Amino acid sequence: MSTTAVAQRLQSIWETPKSVWGWFATVDHKEIGIRYLVTAFLFMCVAGVEALIVRVQLARPDQALMSPEMYDQLFSMHGITMIFWYASPILSGFSNYLIPLMIGSRDMAYPRLNAFTYWSFLFSGILVYVAPFMGQAPHAGWFSYVPYTLYSYSPSRGMDFYAMALILFTISITAGGINFITTILKMRAPGMSINKMPLMCYSTMTMSFVGLFGMPALTAACIFLELDRRWGTHFFSPAAGGNPILWQQLFWFFGHPWVYIVFLPATAIVSMIIPVFSRRPIVGYSYVAVSTMLTGAVGFSVWMHHMFTDGMSDMTMSFFSAGSMMISIFTIVQIICWVVTMWKGRVVMTTAMYYALGTIAALVVGGLNGVVTGIIPLDWQAHNTYFIVGHIHYVLIGSNMFPVFAGLYYWYPKMTGRKLSETLGKWSFWIMFIGFNVGFFPMQIVGLLGMPRRIYTYPAGLGWSASNMIETVGAFALGIGILLSIINFVYSRRFGQIAGKNPWNADTLEWDLDSPPEPYSMVHLPTVITRHPLWDNHDESADPNDERILDNGRLTYITTWLDAKVVSIAKMPEETIAPMLLALTMALCLLALCFQLVYWACGGFGATLLVAFYWLWPREKGEEAL
Amino acid sequence: MTTNTIAPNRGSKFIPTALPLDDTRGIWAMWMVVATEAALFVCLFGAYFYLENNKDRWTYNTPPAEHWGWGMLGALIVSGFTIWLGDRAVIRQAYLRARALLACTLLLGLGFLIMEGFDYASHWATLTPYSNSYGSIFYTIESFDALHVIVGVLILGYVLAMPRYAPARRAPYRPYRVAAIYWYFVVIVWIAIFFLLYVMPNLRIYGF
Repeated sequence: MSTTAVAQRLQSIWETPKSVWGWFATVDHKEIGIRYLVTAFLFMCVAGVEALIVRVQLARPDQALMSPEMYDQLFSMHGITMIFWYASPILSGFSNYLIPLMIGSRDMAYPRLNAFTYWSFLFSGILVYVAPFMGQAPHAGWFSYVPYTLYSYSPSRGMDFYAMALILFTISITAGGINFITTILKMRAPGMSINKMPLMCYSTMTMSFVGLFGMPALTAACIFLELDRRWGTHFFSPAAGGNPILWQQLFWFFGHPWVYIVFLPATAIVSMIIPVFSRRPIVGYSYVAVSTMLTGAVGFSVWMHHMFTDGMSDMTMSFFSAGSMMISIFTIVQIICWVVTMWKGRVVMTTAMYYALGTIAALVVGGLNGVVTGIIPLDWQAHNTYFIVGHIHYVLIGSNMFPVFAGLYYWYPKMTGRKLSETLGKWSFWIMFIGFNVGFFPMQIVGLLGMPRRIYTYPAGLGWSASNMIETVGAFALGIGILLSIINFVYSRRFGQIAGKNPWNADTLEWDLDSPPEPYSMVHLPTVITRHPLWDNHDESADPNDERILDNGRLTYITTWLDAKVVSIAKMPEETIAPMLLALTMALCLLALCFQLVYWACGGFGATLLVAFYWLWPREKGEEAL
Repeated sequence: MTTNTIAPNRGSKFIPTALPLDDTRGIWAMWMVVATEAALFVCLFGAYFYLENNKDRWTYNTPPAEHWGWGMLGALIVSGFTIWLGDRAVIRQAYLRARALLACTLLLGLGFLIMEGFDYASHWATLTPYSNSYGSIFYTIESFDALHVIVGVLILGYVLAMPRYAPARRAPYRPYRVAAIYWYFVVIVWIAIFFLLYVMPNLRIYGF
């Protein structure tokens, strides 16, 4: 069979029907990955606008552009949206799109579950954004401490929406984690043993494991919160033997590992980009891989550093302070490996590389002021001030937003077939980078001067006014920088330079495919013998006898988790609308619970079970094809 | 394994000649679901002990009565064995026997739920979720367990109704094994709950 005929056959097998039904029913990881990226990016834009409104309110002393309640809702929605519905899902988008291509598989291990994770992420985001339209958004910051969030202080429905939307969100993240773990451990190309897989696989796998064991704490906390708010239990009320600190314990037991969920895959993007633009393999591959996994593991033993001001024994404080400092060592290992890679290589300054370097700069500042916050006497001073706000933004923008933009500039040609404008990209980077530093560095100073976080306004004459005005100007500059990149994305989609297969001369398998890749990804499933498949002499797709085509249905290889030896063939499911329906029925069930409509919630639960049964029922279709 | 082997490949340095159809992904997924669910119960137990911390004689005066708990424990442990035997029967292709054992497991699960109802009723006279934090966490853990058993029973019923257990070329490939793993988890969770919430407080009254 000629290659064209094979390609046509594979196309007919793997292509999603171009119809409304096909749009809702697709299980193609590339389609789902792009949807993740676009949806999370839109959430970021919404949350960014909320932040700018907050900054306008804070620009000058004694301002009253909005009511204090409105202000609380705005900064809370900004934090909640950025932390939950942007920072992790956008990385899931990259991993979803790239990991099967990087490891030479035709799809994720559970394509239908993959569709479900996207839809449940989307519906949970819609659920939390129902609340602002009722004028009752969550208003207690992203970590929603009790007792302020209990019914007596928050009688509106905002906190109910917060709790219910987050329960659906944890289901989405957990399901996504299960999918990534199986994909990375079982679906790698023949020969891609675990010490040859791209570093992105290590970080995605680590963050998936962290999600499996960290998310349940958030689920439990949200359930307790809702039970206390509306159903009369006493988890958090001291009068009846409850303990408000229980919320903090559970929330931060989830919350600190979550920092690594939004951090590790982003550092992996940098670990993928820096070697390519330094024109050499990364220095210390094993050290980066091991420090990634150790970050995830040790990340479970630092959560109480968020609670040093609660009061705890010296022993506990010492333990968590030491844990917090230890974890910075693993990040330093990664940063040193990046810097040495550039030092020993020949650096090509593309826009993606600018963003990667911006990451290092911001991460070092954010990391250092994180380490000093781990020192308990300083933490007692800085706690609940703008110093912490400055720290979290340096870390999250440094370790999440800059890597995400680096990733977008780097992989956009693969996803769309066209390169982004480098000139516009560099303008965008510099405006973002300068705006970010102008916007967030003064926060650390006003924090040390004593400005508490989350205040609605402040009187003149405290020495905060000039810094706050500068912060607002910086925040708007950051927004303009992002806007330039958005213009770049839209413009280059139509008019960008045609990219070709491998515009960056990169080393990983996705660059061996067409840009954008076909639905079946590759005609011949690749074999791998080194860490840098496209930089070695081995032809990955060499298959003279057409042995690795697998065109008898939607098929791909299953390999052993350590050595990647082929053991079996995985049959992949067809398009189905069940994942979307399942996410929808779950969201409706939780929406009913926001209003304590028990019968509707039971109906939603029953519908969820029915859809699950429909999803899992064995069907004859496709069996005879084998 | 003859019925579900695919052999479109002639073999090469990397690929063996004939390859079976993968039937392990569902099992991996269920193990990970069990891991994350176990983490959820660890959080609930953590909350139980955290709320107990620094409170004099939280449950010591009135530890929960154990009698229904022992019956529930017995039912679940037996059900763990029946589903294990059933899973072995599937491997030996004794499908009728496997179905019968699955039905036994399901009935034992239903028996557990009925006993749990009586257990609730016996506690309710002196303790409700609205009484204090102990009541809140006690009933929350109990209800989470009940919910897991209900979902487990539904899964068992679903697998019981499935047309066939023989190796198939269509998903789900090994529903019986996947259901069995979930059921083992349900059994182990009840053992943990029974020990931590029933046996330990009852033992501790002898310590004072």
